[in-house]
Amino acid sequence: MFKEDYNGENLLSFSGPLTVSLVSFMANYLKSMLNADYVQVKRIFRIFIELTQNISYYSAEILRVEDGVNSGVGWFMVNESDNCFTITTGNLIYNSDGIKLRKNCDEINLLDEKQLRELKRKTRGQAMIRDVGAHIGLIQTSILSKSKLNYRINQLNNEHSFFVISVNIDK
Amino acid sequence: MENLVIKEVNDAPYYPMVKFDAESGSCEISGESYMEETFKFYSPLLEWIKLYLEEKEKPLTLNFKLTYFNTNSSRLILDMLDILKKNKDKGKKIIVNWYYDPADPDMIDEVEDFELETGLDINLIELVK
Repeated sequence: MFKEDYNGENLLSFSGPLTVSLVSFMANYLKSMLNADYVQVKRIFRIFIELTQNISYYSAEILRVEDGVNSGVGWFMVNESDNCFTITTGNLIYNSDGIKLRKNCDEINLLDEKQLRELKRKTRGQAMIRDVGAHIGLIQTSILSKSKLNYRINQLNNEHSFFVISVNIDK
Repeated sequence: MENLVIKEVNDAPYYPMVKFDAESGSCEISGESYMEETFKFYSPLLEWIKLYLEEKEKPLTLNFKLTYFNTNSSRLILDMLDILKKNKDKGKKIIVNWYYDPADPDMIDEVEDFELETGLDINLIELVK
C-alpha cells in the first residue's frame, strides 16, 4: 500500500471477486455519489472500470462465482481529498508477468498525452481481437487521469507478487 | 437476411443496444459497452456487417451513440471500422456517424483516434439532449 492512498476520505472500497455486475453496480453508484464536475465524473467512472476490469481479467487469483464463470479477485478503494480523487486497486500477479507490467508502467509514465494516444493506437492495432491485454487499459487510465501511474510490485514468493496501482484525478 | 436487434437490459447496462436493419442498411449501437466476453458479443455484429456488404448492393450507415466503451470493446469497434473502410475502398457506399456529447471531450478524442487508425471518415454529430 502507499501512504498517500490513505489521504482524504474513503468513498468506496471492496475486496473480493470483481465480476462485471459488481463493477457496473459500483461504478454507477460512484457516479451518483460524486461531488465533482461532469467531465471528472465521467473520467472517474471510466478509469474505475478499466482498473477494476484489469483485475477481473488478469488477477492471478481466480474464484468461481457462478456455474462455469470465473472472476479475478482483488481490491479497490476510491478516496477523495481536498485536491483530487484517488483510485487504487490491488491484485495478485505471477512473477513472470511482473517484469512486463513494470516495463509497461514505466514506459507510460515517460510519455505525454499525445505520445500516450499514439501508443494506445499502436497497442490496440496490434492487440489480439479476443484479448487486448492489460497494457492498453493502463495507457487509457493515464490518458484520462492526466497523471502518472503510481504503482508497486511486491514479490510474495517464487510464484506470486502483489501489484498495487494508484492514480489521481485532480479536482 | 434478418435484422439484428439486441435490446437494452436494465440490470446489465454493460451491454449496448443494437439495431441493425437489413432492409434500409441503417445500423445503430447505443449505450455503454464493457461486458466480460467482448468477442462473443461483437462477433455476430461483425458477421452481420460482412454479410450485408456481401449480399446487398445498398448503402450502409452505422450510427454510434455510445456514451462509454472500455478498451476491450474499442478493439472490436476498431475491427468493425476496419471492415467498413475496406469495403468503402472497394466502392461501397458507407457512412459512419458518431453522436457525441459536446461536454465530453474524451469521447471526441476517441473518435479522432479511430479515424487516425482506420483512415475512415467519421462524422461527429452533437447529441441533442
